[in-house]
Amino acid sequence: MIQYSEFTLSNGLHVIHHEDNSTQLCALNVLYKVGSRNENPSHTGFAHLFEHLMFGGSINIEEFDTELQKAGGESNAFTSNDITNYYITLPANNIETGFWLESDRMLSLNFNQKSLDVQKGVVIEEFKERYLNQPYGDLWLKILPLVYKVHPYNWPTIGKSIEHIEKTKLQDVKSFFENFYAASNAILVVAGNISLSETQRLCSKWFEPIPSRISNIPPYPQEPPQIEKRHLNVEADVPVDLLLKGYRMGGRLDTDYFACDLLSDVLGSGRSSRLFNALVKENSIFSEIDTYISGDTDSGLFLIEGKLQKGISFKEAENALDIQIKDLITNGIAENELTKVINKTETNILFGDVNILNRAMKLAFAKFLGDTELVNTEIESYRKVTAREMQETAKAMFIESNCSTIYYQAKNESK
Amino acid sequence: MNLNRKISPGFNTIEKLTFPQYDCLINSNKQKIYSLCAGIEPVVRIELVFDAGVMKQKVTGESSYTASMLSEGTKSKSALALADALDYYGSYFQVKSNAEDLIATLYCLEKHVDNCLGYFMEAIISSIFPEKELEIIKKNAVQKLLVSNKKNSYLCRKNFYRNVLGPNHPLSAFPSKEDIQNINKEMLVSFYEKNIIGGFKYAIVSGNFSDNSLKSISLAIEKSGLHNSNIEQEKQQINSTKGQHFITKNESVQSSIRIGNISISRESEDFRKLQFLNLIFGGYFGSRLMKNIREDKGLTYGIYSVLEPYKDFGIWYIDCELNYKNRERGINEIWIELNRIKNEEISNEEIQSAKNYYLGSFLKSLDGPFSLADRLKIMVDYQLPDSYYPEFVTILNNTTSKDLIEIANKYYTENNMVKIIVGKE
Repeated sequence: MIQYSEFTLSNGLHVIHHEDNSTQLCALNVLYKVGSRNENPSHTGFAHLFEHLMFGGSINIEEFDTELQKAGGESNAFTSNDITNYYITLPANNIETGFWLESDRMLSLNFNQKSLDVQKGVVIEEFKERYLNQPYGDLWLKILPLVYKVHPYNWPTIGKSIEHIEKTKLQDVKSFFENFYAASNAILVVAGNISLSETQRLCSKWFEPIPSRISNIPPYPQEPPQIEKRHLNVEADVPVDLLLKGYRMGGRLDTDYFACDLLSDVLGSGRSSRLFNALVKENSIFSEIDTYISGDTDSGLFLIEGKLQKGISFKEAENALDIQIKDLITNGIAENELTKVINKTETNILFGDVNILNRAMKLAFAKFLGDTELVNTEIESYRKVTAREMQETAKAMFIESNCSTIYYQAKNESK
Repeated sequence: MNLNRKISPGFNTIEKLTFPQYDCLINSNKQKIYSLCAGIEPVVRIELVFDAGVMKQKVTGESSYTASMLSEGTKSKSALALADALDYYGSYFQVKSNAEDLIATLYCLEKHVDNCLGYFMEAIISSIFPEKELEIIKKNAVQKLLVSNKKNSYLCRKNFYRNVLGPNHPLSAFPSKEDIQNINKEMLVSFYEKNIIGGFKYAIVSGNFSDNSLKSISLAIEKSGLHNSNIEQEKQQINSTKGQHFITKNESVQSSIRIGNISISRESEDFRKLQFLNLIFGGYFGSRLMKNIREDKGLTYGIYSVLEPYKDFGIWYIDCELNYKNRERGINEIWIELNRIKNEEISNEEIQSAKNYYLGSFLKSLDGPFSLADRLKIMVDYQLPDSYYPEFVTILNNTTSKDLIEIANKYYTENNMVKIIVGKE
């Protein structure tokens, strides 16, 4: 049970406080409600590039990291399809430094060409390191446009292409900040060894004076249900064939979300999972196989990804996989299999909560979804899922017309 | 109220670090069980540590394949039955082969300790190494190796260890396809009997657990038939092949770089100062390498230097991925920084900032039961006193810029450096 209190400042900044006196640390987590789904399709990767610029100095403070390090703190950030999330941890008695730094970069950045040019370079190298210079690195760049035809999940957070990152102008950065980085478009979590009254005092001192701005969040199209089977062949310089199947599923707040998450555990998580035992161990069809969900806020993806054994064709692999899925749809799952995946989920949640920063991030994300109390009801939502419901969900989701498939084929080198 | 945002609200420096209370229980078989009770969530981690690391293997792959096979079935349970039993209670069972040891870990909720403990111990003490499962693991490992061989970072790491330690050193033994194919049940069983059954070092229990759970764990270890290790550490020869080694990968848009040399072990008197110097040079986001090569010039996504301590020696290296076009420029900047740290005094401000950051990160690593247990493990492995971490405050306070120049000149020596580049010619 995570206890917390909440209040909203006059400029619209929502604050969540969570006290834990067993730690000597404090964490500040600021979630801005902007992700790659808010980008213009002709200028992608921008929310993530912007995240880098948030460390390039703010209006009154030249070097964010240096000031933080002096006070014994650490920070980082990540961008997803839906949000951009910044976090700091500090020794609890130095938490005011965190308030000073975070509030100043919410007030305004020190927009400068040098920082922009350097970070473009850094992000382009990140693009290459993670997406281009790795075997199968561009898989995500290939599957998203196959699945999403109109929704901005069409591109990954890093962006569609290096050109999009290169063409960013300083003016783009300024207007993006003005619009999306308003206090009312953010959620602040203060967690750790700090009282509520001290949190209130520091919030009114550092965050309350930030003028309110109006965020105009442009609407973006929702992806209609998929009604036809989609397929893409890719040939690349990789040593082993890879099969990827993506099925459309609901978003974080949809009714099928928890059932889908548990289905991915039943099928592909751990050594007792169905696909691992049937397709890796009993029949040597795949050398490895994994199932996972994208976990997006809007309608997301249920993915099955496996590397084929040498000598196995894509057709054989897909047929073997289909047999497993048919079995699940026809015969459902046993009670003890359901108990198992729910117990696993409970372990994951509680181990995750050990860390103060994780708790802070979870609180912010729950509020972003619309209800902070989701941090405590999450496990109940998993427990409520029935075997019957999982079978029904599987039946509705695992249909050909709801699926996008990639054959990622090893180039034949012997020619 | 007039708020001056230009100046920092002020901060405190860390003057004291404390390592929390832990216990060491010795059962009637003289087996040691360390325990560290901390945190509020009802979660427990049980680690059994064995003298079965890569350094102890005679044949490439013995340690890591023994680790993989421990979950593949026991006298009374198949791999699937074992996985089902452990998964049912939501626990996680993991076996990892490291350089100096092998660790079998159980993660579970406090309420399930009694349910899981029996299966966990059974996996370790009654493992039967079935041939069929071994063949599957080997076949899949060969496929994984094909993928690894396409990664510049893997090739760079492998070639770095081979050249800095010499090809016959156990840590240079990255299994080849032939090595994998040569692994057989007999050799793994013999390694298992000697280094697992006969190679128990100690256990560490961490998390928020009851006395009863701890008693159950201690009793399970006592009844297990595991014997305390008396395996001698053979001193391994190190034969560096200094200088530059280039591995051509013409299709790469980036090159992997690793530059470094043999360094000192944790037991050396200079070790903690060298650790601090490494932090300033390339060990954190505010380091020299990061500030220059990433934050000023945008040549890389990340660049780090790392000091890896082992029992009798250490390895120090700089690691990054550089755009092929910027490669020479990036490497040149690395040399400039090396030169600078060896010849120019570091400003007081930079030392202070790094010191504060370092102590803050210690505080962070002393937070939470599992990261505390990781620190405790280092203290046990190297027989360090309880004052080891708290002493850092004094050591850092007494380190001057002159000391750091001296340390840099003593250990960042170019004549024994190995430089590996993997990328386009």
